[in-house]
Amino acid sequence: MTTGSVDLLVVDDGEALRGYDCRDVVRVEEVAGEAGGYLVRLGRLGSPRDVACREVLGSVALSAREIRPVPEVLRERVTGEAPWAVGLTEREIYLLY
Amino acid sequence: MRTGAVNTNFEVFDMVSTSGISPLDEAREELLREASIEAQASGREKAQEESGPARSLLVFFLGVEGFAVDLAHVRKVLRPARIARVSGAAPEVLGLMNCEGEVLCVLDLRRILSPGKETGPPAATEGKFVVVLRHGGKEAGILVDTVRDATEHPASSIHPVLDSIDPSRARLFEGTVACGGQFVGLLSPSACLNP
Repeated sequence: MTTGSVDLLVVDDGEALRGYDCRDVVRVEEVAGEAGGYLVRLGRLGSPRDVACREVLGSVALSAREIRPVPEVLRERVTGEAPWAVGLTEREIYLLY
Repeated sequence: MRTGAVNTNFEVFDMVSTSGISPLDEAREELLREASIEAQASGREKAQEESGPARSLLVFFLGVEGFAVDLAHVRKVLRPARIARVSGAAPEVLGLMNCEGEVLCVLDLRRILSPGKETGPPAATEGKFVVVLRHGGKEAGILVDTVRDATEHPASSIHPVLDSIDPSRARLFEGTVACGGQFVGLLSPSACLNP
């Protein structure tokens, strides 16, 4: 029986809910100006990168059974950064990056 | 003459009395039985030659335009739940849906059929259906307006795709089939699931 879980920082990129491993988050900055939004700086675990988003919604813990592979039909149709998995709970679907 | 006629009558009488029907009737019945068996055999062969194996097709619509897909590739038909958009996905991707505990990618068939018209808003899902297709290890749902029924069609009723159809669109079809008084396009599940 799998008992693993992952804590995700959940952000709204304007289209979808994205989840980032909380352990990878360096900091979150509010972006000043008209456009607003937030900048999430990642890189504690991997290579440094910044992700812009509209809103930071908080964190959520997903168990291993709530993490699913990205459907192949979607994987073939995503340009740019592709999610590595999908978080599926009764209420939400998260794209894990 | 009289005696002969009487004899003949006796013969006939004798035969009728033993078998219950005349030899002529017997011969005719035998001929009819053989003819019936021949006709049945010939009909079966003819039907097989003409039709080949029948195919069960699911018929559905986008607006007034009808489409069909082989039922062998249809996993299920369901009402769309909330579909989560995916940023960076191709225009025909409506998003991901929770399909009874599984992640299902839902595609917009309208955009697959008309890849040039990609600037409009994503299709509304209310009142529509998701037909879940599976082919070659891939699975996805396609959003359709209405689902009519599943019917059996002999192979002979499936015609080639019309030459007049644009080749980029024609690749999405296996053929054309007459369903309920109108011709519908028989979709290729492989072409729909592969970009």
